[in-house]
Amino acid sequence: MTSAPLEGIKVISFGTGAVIPEWGKALGELGADVIKIESRENPDFARTIGPDMNNIHGVNESNRSQRSFGVNLKKEKGKELVRKLIKTADIVGENFRGGAVRSLGVDYEDVRKIKPDIIYISSQGFGRGTPYTEYQAYGPMLAAASGVLSLWAHPDDPYPVGANVPLPDHMASKQAVFAVLAALDYRRRTGKGQFIDLCQVEVAASLIGEYYLDYSINHRLAMKVGNRNPYAAPCNAYRCKGQDQWCAISIITNDDWQRFCTAIGNPGWTMDPRFADTVSRLKNVDELDRLVETWTMEHGPMEVMNTLQAAGVAAGMLQRAADTINDPHVKWTQALIELDHPVAGRRLYTNVPYKLSNTTLPPSRPAPLLGQHTDEICRELLGMPAEEIRRLKEEGVLDAPST
Amino acid sequence: MAEQQEGALSVYRVLDLADIKGAYCGKLLADQGAEVLKIETPKGGCPTRNIPPFAGNKPHLERSLQFLYRNANKYGITLDIESPDGRGLFKRLVKTADILLETHPPGYMEGLGLHYEALKEINPKLVMASITDFGQAGPYRDWKGSSMVHCALSTTMISSGFADGAPINLPGMPSYDAASLIASISIMAAIYQRGTTGVGQYCDVSVHECSRLGLYPWMVPIYSYGLNPGSPPPPPEGRLGAAIYPVYPCKDGFVRIVAITPPQWKALVRVLGKPEVLCLPAWEQFMYRIANAADLYALMLEFTTKYTMAELFEAGDKEGVPIAPIYDLADFVNSPSTKARGFFVELDHPVVGKFDCPGPPYKWTETSCRTYRPAPCLGEHNERVYCHQLGLTKDDLAALRQAGVI
Repeated sequence: MTSAPLEGIKVISFGTGAVIPEWGKALGELGADVIKIESRENPDFARTIGPDMNNIHGVNESNRSQRSFGVNLKKEKGKELVRKLIKTADIVGENFRGGAVRSLGVDYEDVRKIKPDIIYISSQGFGRGTPYTEYQAYGPMLAAASGVLSLWAHPDDPYPVGANVPLPDHMASKQAVFAVLAALDYRRRTGKGQFIDLCQVEVAASLIGEYYLDYSINHRLAMKVGNRNPYAAPCNAYRCKGQDQWCAISIITNDDWQRFCTAIGNPGWTMDPRFADTVSRLKNVDELDRLVETWTMEHGPMEVMNTLQAAGVAAGMLQRAADTINDPHVKWTQALIELDHPVAGRRLYTNVPYKLSNTTLPPSRPAPLLGQHTDEICRELLGMPAEEIRRLKEEGVLDAPST
Repeated sequence: MAEQQEGALSVYRVLDLADIKGAYCGKLLADQGAEVLKIETPKGGCPTRNIPPFAGNKPHLERSLQFLYRNANKYGITLDIESPDGRGLFKRLVKTADILLETHPPGYMEGLGLHYEALKEINPKLVMASITDFGQAGPYRDWKGSSMVHCALSTTMISSGFADGAPINLPGMPSYDAASLIASISIMAAIYQRGTTGVGQYCDVSVHECSRLGLYPWMVPIYSYGLNPGSPPPPPEGRLGAAIYPVYPCKDGFVRIVAITPPQWKALVRVLGKPEVLCLPAWEQFMYRIANAADLYALMLEFTTKYTMAELFEAGDKEGVPIAPIYDLADFVNSPSTKARGFFVELDHPVVGKFDCPGPPYKWTETSCRTYRPAPCLGEHNERVYCHQLGLTKDDLAALRQAGVI
């Protein structure tokens, strides 16, 4: 086993909300020293959705494995300290509102003057060079503006509502991680850094590329595509026994169908010629779904899932958080980890979602309090004496948690 | 300039044995310039080729839209890795490769003697990634998945749709694309580390786990914080999209409003002309709005319907509340931002002809990042790879084809 891949890599994160904070987390998990720049005057907006900025679930999930440097970019001295830090950095990431880093003097063009080989990623809703470049944009807006939401509904819904899920934020963060790793590899070979302009609405549109091909090639404008597969049946979420309990079942081939029939005990209706092959099943899909549901309604969703999977049929219950926490595979694979956060206490978070055979990743660290690492960063990375640190706190340039 | 420009990953060769689960991973690498060789069975090719819909609605191996989209920029060869000769050729290719990506069920590659432990003997620098439905080990190791099944298990689907309606699957193949993205991260981490250690390694990626991370990693922490003093109260479990990110009709369509903080709510009230009923201080609280979503919806309708999507989009930006138009596919294709960035690129496919394909979702200043070649036809690059790169003769190729090896 060897040390972490990004050991010795320093990352400066101007992150807010989901995308760049979570990007920082993923780089921190790979061993980079990720420093989140924030201040009381200008905190990560996600810290402001509850009464205690250090006790917000989303923030504490997405900002793990990084350090918080509480420094006010609206003050000249604060800017100077951040610029000094950037001189020693390898990677900068930001997802402030479009144009904000320019007015703060830390846009790519500013940063490359003091660190020519910097890798710099900006992630905005609509990317650079468009009429909407400076629009404030959150994930759920981009699901709407990318066409994704127009598909994300049952055909008979009055309009699409999507979900609680801030799609495409968590996908954009991963696009950003992949991008800077590729850029880092290129820099090692050539010595050259660069600027990457990530566009989150395009991340969302990338999820439905086949529908855009259908539009371009077949001139078909897909709308509200729902759960059913237009080419195979039964494929749907079926109501199970219990309050709002469901199981998703995907039957694609005739073999799948045969295994399904056997698994549910070959009730008479499964022999009906109306369901004999895919074409017939699609033609009679309303009746088919109704009959499948007569079986699923007699069983809990876990039983439906286990019975079908034992027979080799793709099925998955619609889990809620508690189901996931108790899921035997989630437990066995340690997909969740418990961390002790200084304010939030012992809570569950998601683990690193891949396993590398020959790398020991550093242990996951809880999200920082705002300014938790201000003192050590000033002392160790900026070589500042204690007296200066104290004075700058008084002047509102530096922020640290009150003790 | 782009023509000569090198991609960030141009020096790497990737062997791609992936079906739809990992197709987007190879595309990510190919868009950065890596030479991605899609290796398909000569018996009908990659299963993705059979996934409808098809170009021109004609079922045909070269016309699957799923295949055309997620395999753009790749090279394609045929090879039966189950045959002894095929395995031999595969091992020769492994010697030349930096990365091997595969999505076969756990144990399949080992059954052929082509698992990582065997392949690293041939090429210690190889980085190998396996994307499987449930990972290489654990109680569900041999379970079957689909993008919808993983959406269901990820806690995403139960939260998707109207509160009193049936849950809805996400469009596209987001669980698989999440696994592909995370696989690309693990691959690049291993490649970068190889620069220091000189040796490759094996990456085990589970769609089951990645769909949670890529779609909705916050559900478990939100639940876990539920009874935590001082944290925001957990929203009630269920399908809350309509309450959290409400959708309202307007003159010419619908908009989605993402007002979370009190200043954003106040900005929304300004956008709508400060109607008195919306000025009650209680509405400023996000949790109060969620709890009273149906009442609020009824109040809002009167005001949102006075404006167009574009008016609300612009006014929201001016006042400081995120409001988005709900675009259909044509609206997105024709939107000024899509046009300005040149997101769609024209590809010319020998069977399908010219069409517009989404390009990569980012622009790079130093290296080339672009989608420019259509997905390969079945076995299109056999000669290029077997003759020009491995040194086989055309006669060898004919014999291998005759024997069903390629």
